[in-house]
Amino acid sequence: MATITASPPRVGLPGLLKRPAVRKLLFLALAAAILVPLANARWASGTWPSALTVDFSEPLAKASDWIIDNRDSHPLFLYFLGHVSNVVVIAVRAVYLTLLAIGWAGVTALGALVAWRVAGVRLALGTGTAFLACGLLGMWVPTMQTLALMVVAVVASVVVGLLLGLAAGLSDRMDRVLRPVLDTMQVLPAFAYLLPVVLIFGIGVPAAVLATVIYAAPPMARLTSLGLRGADKEVLEAVQSLGSTARQRLLTARLPLARKELLLGVNQTIMMALSMAVIAAVIGAGGLGDRVYQALASVDVGAALAAGIPIVLLAVVLDRVTGAAGERIGAEPEPRRGLGWLLALAGVVAVAVAGRLAGRLDWPDSWVVGIAEPVNRVVDWMTAHLYSGVPVIGGTADWAGHFTTWVLDPMRDGLQGLPWWSVLLIVAALAWVIGTWRTALTAVLAMAAIGALGVWKPSLDTLSQVLAAVVVTLVVGFATGIAAARSDRLERLLRPVLDVFQTMPQFVYLIPVVALFGVGRAPAVAAAIVYALPAVVRITTQGLRQVDPAALEASGSLGATSWQQLRQVQLPLARPALLLAVNQGLVLVLAVVVIGGLVGGGALGYDVVFGLAQGDLATGLVAGAAIVCLGLMLDRVTQPTERRVKKGA
Amino acid sequence: MDTTPVFSVEGLWKVFGPKADRVPGDPELTALDPAELRERTGCTAAVRDVSFDVRKGEVFVVMGLSGSGKSTLVRCLTRLIEPTAGTIAIDGEDVRAMDRSRLRELRRHRAAMVFQHFGLLPHRTVIDNVAYGLEIQGMGKAERRERAAEVVAKVGLEGMEHRRPGQLSGGQRQRVGLARALAVDPEVLLFDEPFSALDPLIRREMQDEVVRLHHEEGRTMVFITHDLQEALKLGDRIALMRDGRVVQLGTPEEIVGSPADDYVREFVRDVPREQVMTVRTAMRRPTADQDGSGPAVRPEATVSEAIEAVARAGAPARVMDKGRCVGVVDSDTLLGVVAGTEQPAPPGTEQPKEAV
Repeated sequence: MATITASPPRVGLPGLLKRPAVRKLLFLALAAAILVPLANARWASGTWPSALTVDFSEPLAKASDWIIDNRDSHPLFLYFLGHVSNVVVIAVRAVYLTLLAIGWAGVTALGALVAWRVAGVRLALGTGTAFLACGLLGMWVPTMQTLALMVVAVVASVVVGLLLGLAAGLSDRMDRVLRPVLDTMQVLPAFAYLLPVVLIFGIGVPAAVLATVIYAAPPMARLTSLGLRGADKEVLEAVQSLGSTARQRLLTARLPLARKELLLGVNQTIMMALSMAVIAAVIGAGGLGDRVYQALASVDVGAALAAGIPIVLLAVVLDRVTGAAGERIGAEPEPRRGLGWLLALAGVVAVAVAGRLAGRLDWPDSWVVGIAEPVNRVVDWMTAHLYSGVPVIGGTADWAGHFTTWVLDPMRDGLQGLPWWSVLLIVAALAWVIGTWRTALTAVLAMAAIGALGVWKPSLDTLSQVLAAVVVTLVVGFATGIAAARSDRLERLLRPVLDVFQTMPQFVYLIPVVALFGVGRAPAVAAAIVYALPAVVRITTQGLRQVDPAALEASGSLGATSWQQLRQVQLPLARPALLLAVNQGLVLVLAVVVIGGLVGGGALGYDVVFGLAQGDLATGLVAGAAIVCLGLMLDRVTQPTERRVKKGA
Repeated sequence: MDTTPVFSVEGLWKVFGPKADRVPGDPELTALDPAELRERTGCTAAVRDVSFDVRKGEVFVVMGLSGSGKSTLVRCLTRLIEPTAGTIAIDGEDVRAMDRSRLRELRRHRAAMVFQHFGLLPHRTVIDNVAYGLEIQGMGKAERRERAAEVVAKVGLEGMEHRRPGQLSGGQRQRVGLARALAVDPEVLLFDEPFSALDPLIRREMQDEVVRLHHEEGRTMVFITHDLQEALKLGDRIALMRDGRVVQLGTPEEIVGSPADDYVREFVRDVPREQVMTVRTAMRRPTADQDGSGPAVRPEATVSEAIEAVARAGAPARVMDKGRCVGVVDSDTLLGVVAGTEQPAPPGTEQPKEAV
């Protein structure tokens, strides 16, 4: 009988060996026992051996010089990249001038009326208010600059994404080629994209637009492909059974069936484009991002906030309006839709013409409310009173200092003090136990590439900041997520907050942390925590709430306490979601930690900024490559096995 | 009368898997049962050497349990699934030899299909869903809407023209699916388990609808189902499938009355025989003395109808065909059919006299 052979497993070596995790670790230990002494004998222990690094700076500098020298003469630039660059400049300029020509009143009316048609009256009011607020803050012109760049970048991203998505959605072969590329692009920090485009296009609007397109097109492509592939098979079969041609199938069935995903793709593309358009200030995007960048460079929190608020407003408005458009799908179509749009158009024209006749195209200076001064006074007061010396709790700067000396420094020194091979071993062990040998191999290779690039030390510095931030994020995020999953009231309270926080571009998070903690590594980590927290909370809550209610009911019927339910049912069943939360937490934290290079975060992020500022592209490119490797490594280490298991199941 | 079958299927195979082509031609492989075949070649034979004709104007039912290959079979008819071997002819024209445009022509005008989960376009209104097949054909908007409106009325959906599929009940959605197929005025209607996703009461209602439509229009239908009751109710002839093969092909009465093997016998065991078997099978030759007395029944009448007649009259009934007495049924013969103790010979052959 089966029950006899399956007697309670004895806890011993054979029993342990049966667990795959233990077997994998044993195998690694064996491999290490052979390889490590060899490596130690050949190259010294400690930091990454110089014999194993490849110096890229010289060839990169040469390539950069060659491009700069040939930008005006080489056919590749003359006949292709030059045209691309010109088209981008002209398009952005055209949109910008159009926006200025419509005037502030016209643009506000346009935004509000489009929002009204797409999303209803409430969002229309919100949109109008947001535009007016941009004007009031004295940021009308930078807002229009950012908007112009965004419009061009979003249109280009949507077109590129749609084409790639169509290719991947309709052809299995293209899908196999594109999917891993798009998946990987999704996890890379925005900062890593800046330098390659600068290398080719130089600093300026074309580089900024292209970086934005590269960053924002993948979600559109992914979602388009997903939508096309997710279509109801039977509907497609029915359409085919009626004798449709492939073209008819695409236009009348496949694309309409994928509308939800397509609109979600547009929404995500817009949000990512805004995020990148702001960061691209570092490579000459101008507009709001540039104002924030300049203000942060001189630690002028007031000015940064004045430019940051419009960014947040734009983000929230764009997200809500496009999101609402997606939700309306499938609802009963309104009668006389055309009339509504006509009305809206007439309204915009009327307002624009009125503004022109009144000679009030530019936002009147007298209407600007300068918030920089008062804000800076508040910040000064905070610096004087909250930074340090607050009785009992200390001050914010003290906290930052303590965090740096007690957490960040030991972690960095610890990581950098580890023998290089042990870092590789740890990465391999983690990735293999959580994922498969493939993910482990990719992670180890990525980590080794960092060493080979010669940026082992700054990378481990960045890694220490990432790890510190992730630990805090996960502790706070899991706790909040579990609480929100157990209490509907807390979830209702949290939801709008999370919604707003998740739509804000990464760059904006730097402003408040600089106000609170000054500059340095601690503020960079703080910004990363705040940025990653909403996603972690949300994934945790959703994961716990999606646990099969039947399982919960069953355990409840057996008399389990709610703590037992949480520990024995909910958490184990939500394991994939929790792992996803860890994965997302790492990816998001890394993205902001490297941007923290702008506020004294040092390490790889600073190398990128330095490379851009000094025109030393080689340094920046190497740092960018290291960021890519780091992102790849962190993603693969926490990649759940599920993506691969499908075949067996 | 034209006697060319609407569909003529000969030696049809559909094998899924790597190098599927080699299976039908290899006698060694075709002899294997499904599990062995999968083990040997990694292939699954969904349809195995199936042959049948669908006659003009009949309802031809293909029935079998899930996995028996019936849905694959019906998709092979219009090459929604490409057959591996064998021949299919529609009105004598080879379907497998058709090029793309000819095949589209077939799908557009000659055979329309109704699907289990309806396959409606969720973003279109009822009327536009119904008109979709006509739109595919390139018909102008006004004309196709007009045609669609007629069909919508025919399936009893007046007043719902401008709803979306999401706002309809399951039965109403399938009416839309049916209307879409009817709108193109096809020669044959193909039904792929159209009612199995519906509640029992709605299902019966829809079956009646199909019976009514068939009665009114006399359109040829190929109907796939896993429901024996449905098959017996709708089918003029039934092909019973198991593991990709047709194990028996015949009228409902033949299937119930003389099952080809134990599998079919087990299948039809619970069927109320008196509602399927006809008097023609139950009757015995008239003896001279009974000629001219007792109630008269038609040869196509079911046994249960005859039972009622015999019970009312208290005497054996005469089976009258075109004014001529062809046989007699009495309570013993009828009871024998109900009990299943007697094995009636297939219709057409004479009933042995000594049978009870």
